Amino acid sequence: MLGQSGASKAGAVTVATTEHTGMSVEYWADRALERIIHVAPDSQSIIKEQAEAYRERIRAVLVHYIRQAIKSDRTTLYNLFIQQGESDMAEILRKL
Amino acid sequence: MAFTGDFMCNSFKLELLTAEHNFAAAGDSFKIALYDNSATLTETTATYTATGELSATGNYTTTGQALTNIDPVWDTDTAICDFVDEVFSNATFTAYGGLIYNDTHPSDAACIVLDFGGAKTATAGDFTIQFPAAAAATAIIRIA
Repeated sequence: MLGQSGASKAGAVTVATTEHTGMSVEYWADRALERIIHVAPDSQSIIKEQAEAYRERIRAVLVHYIRQAIKSDRTTLYNLFIQQGESDMAEILRKL
Repeated sequence: MAFTGDFMCNSFKLELLTAEHNFAAAGDSFKIALYDNSATLTETTATYTATGELSATGNYTTTGQALTNIDPVWDTDTAICDFVDEVFSNATFTAYGGLIYNDTHPSDAACIVLDFGGAKTATAGDFTIQFPAAAAATAIIRIA
């Protein structure tokens, strides 16, 4: 139920685009971080500092594992191309 | 006519009070359609429209892409709704704004008009819609 002083509002999205490439690992790590940790702007400074330090540690973990996931996927694709006789494509992927 | 801001559609506010939308993760299917600068989307937009929508080129599909709902939650005294960031991959197009609408609703009811603040262009790349932080002051849909 909406209160007498209630209000319904729409937020604003941000659009990010790239040219001839996808988004970076760091970009996606930051997007994930926004979902995992939200530090309220009006938090006490000591809590905010701890949260920010924790956020940086989580960011490093995310970046590492996203890179590992990309490598794993490229291994899968490399072998798929080899099995299909596309060794040139496989070699391009391997060198990325 | 260019986009003139972000809007919660007037008809959508009424439909919320008659239980016509379900934003739960397993609820209705919502989509986001993208538009060029000829679109005339405002708070009076009531349903999805193809007028001004991007054409089906550059890896864009007309009627847009399905969003992934995140279960609505409370943040202090505000009920908030969120979606997973949406990526149009390998995209080559320019968009000025978007419309979130309920694809499950019989009339494809419009929910939110999004103004991107100008031309946003991807060229053989990612066109990513980042939804705002799911908090009382920022979330994409808020009821206080």
